[in-house]
Amino acid sequence: MKTLLFRRPTRDIVWLGWITLLALGVVAGIYAAIQVFIHGLVITNLTDQVPWGLWITVDLSAIALSGGAFFLSALVYIIGIERFKPAARLAVFVGLLGYSAALCTLLLDIGRPDRFYHPLLMWNTHSMLWEVTMCIVLYFSVLMLEVFPMLAELPLFAHFSVAQALGHRVHRFAPVLAFLGLGFSMLHQSSLGATYGVLAARPIWFRPTMPLLFIASAMATGPALTMALALIVGWLRRRPLIASNILFDVAKVSAAALLITLYMRFWDITAGTYGYVPLRSEATNLLTGGAMALTFWLWEIGLGSVAAAALMLWAAARRSEGLLFVGAGMAVIGLVVNRWNTTILGLTTPLSTAPTLTFPLTPTYSPALVEWAVAAGIVAGVTLAFTLGMKFLPAFASTE
Amino acid sequence: MAEKMTRTVTRRELLKIAAQLGVSIAALEVARRFVGAAPQASASDGSSRYHWAMVIDLSSCTGCNYCSYACKATNDTGPDIYWNAVFEDKRTYSKPVFLPRPCMHCEHAPCVDVCPVGATFHRPDGLVAMDYDKCIGCRYCQVACPYGARYFNWTENTAINAMTPTWGAPEIPRRPRGVVEKCTFCAHRIDAGLAQGRRPGIDEEATPACVNVCPVGARVFGDLNDPNSRVSELLRERESVTLRESVGSHPRVFYLLPDGGADL
Repeated sequence: MKTLLFRRPTRDIVWLGWITLLALGVVAGIYAAIQVFIHGLVITNLTDQVPWGLWITVDLSAIALSGGAFFLSALVYIIGIERFKPAARLAVFVGLLGYSAALCTLLLDIGRPDRFYHPLLMWNTHSMLWEVTMCIVLYFSVLMLEVFPMLAELPLFAHFSVAQALGHRVHRFAPVLAFLGLGFSMLHQSSLGATYGVLAARPIWFRPTMPLLFIASAMATGPALTMALALIVGWLRRRPLIASNILFDVAKVSAAALLITLYMRFWDITAGTYGYVPLRSEATNLLTGGAMALTFWLWEIGLGSVAAAALMLWAAARRSEGLLFVGAGMAVIGLVVNRWNTTILGLTTPLSTAPTLTFPLTPTYSPALVEWAVAAGIVAGVTLAFTLGMKFLPAFASTE
Repeated sequence: MAEKMTRTVTRRELLKIAAQLGVSIAALEVARRFVGAAPQASASDGSSRYHWAMVIDLSSCTGCNYCSYACKATNDTGPDIYWNAVFEDKRTYSKPVFLPRPCMHCEHAPCVDVCPVGATFHRPDGLVAMDYDKCIGCRYCQVACPYGARYFNWTENTAINAMTPTWGAPEIPRRPRGVVEKCTFCAHRIDAGLAQGRRPGIDEEATPACVNVCPVGARVFGDLNDPNSRVSELLRERESVTLRESVGSHPRVFYLLPDGGADL
């Protein structure tokens, strides 16, 4: 307790201020969500031409960035890299929060939130979205089981020996859970890409690379988010949450996955510039030289992939936490931008029904205030849960 | 013994279970794909007597929009929703060509494939129908439809239907907020008509409203299984196209090309 960033009174005020700020964000988000439930999705800027927008981006990003949970757990429990265990433990906690965020966002995004359980009862096994929904629900259950032993350690449960015993029992099955989690994750991280990839109606999405790109980018950026968060927590406490030599090794894995993603993306885009495929060619131009060129080249490719991978590798070589944080952070931002660009590009390329006939409107979309408020509320909510978890969960609060 | 009880699953055992599970799932999937039923039932599988189709003659359509109005009155859609929209193509020909766009009722409908809850489905006669009580409003079908034929109820439809009574009277209940909807080929008329011994495409009561109202007879509805039906005749005699053939959706709406316009 003596080696903290601020002296105690100052520290308490900063912490309280941070919690208050996040709580206000949550309150604003809940207010916005209630407005959506009362008035319906008409108060968003979504349209029949662009029916998916900011919330889907939040959803896809939250799930991809939770990918550290399955990837690092697999490295620990299946490949057998035992020293990644602390990173995997943090990633599982981040993953649980990420999937909570995704489920909240989905609940708001569907037109009939009262029917949220329908996919569980009414199966269309041909639907990628059904498969994704089932996997997310099952994987969320696995994550809850994985996090349960951490919760059972809380002093709150000291008097409930049943909870603690149950926690120990569940923890014994960690490898089984990791394996189940790996299965569900690999299924839905990739089929989330296939959700777009199977749609012949939108040629820019209709590519077999979509599921591969989605899972590869999740394997790269999930651990990146875990590292960035571990570094922030470590700095604030002036003692590492995860030993930096572990982080630098995770950084190499993350950078490698990022470079593999970039490599696939290179051939994907390059191949797409040959020949003329109606709508795909137009969309490719829009991405690489049109309205989305700046975010694509700067954030997705330049900073989010090339620079992020280079910085993480450099950080590992120079053993610099600062560089690692910047690199990991840029990878995370690059991922979010990628999911936004992917969604918006496919939807704003006008559908044409005949060669020279396009719909009179070229669809545009920018999120409404209420959409931003909900998204911000959800991000604030998971950040709040993360902050409290770091403070109170014995698994993270007392690092050895 | 006590030690044995508390030991965790070893990596070796885990990988063994993994392999077994993986092989079983793969085998099941292969069995389902190749031995089991085809991905989706369609009219052409012979399960129905009828193969409904609509033929729209682009050489006679004048773009009067009556079909949109009659559709709106009959199906009681919200203010911004036109199940049957009419688009104008000013560039392909020397004179403007109008292209009415109902739901294509595709034989391989992307919307049927993607709906997570099976709220959009193929009826036994092949028409693409919706169960509004199942729909969760995820709008994946809108994203998947190659024709932009699907509309979401962004708000409760409490407006007065501006097209009634001039263009017809509502024949089906309004859909609730938060579900997707689309053209049904006036399936309610087909079903009721057949039950009364009427012939869809010939008797007005059993024929889609847009077909009945067309002042120039540009729209024809009927059964492709009947070689003597008007739609069968037209498709034999005239050159026709379906929209976005590359998507492989096999629409049931066929367009007869304008005069001298094989290059549409």
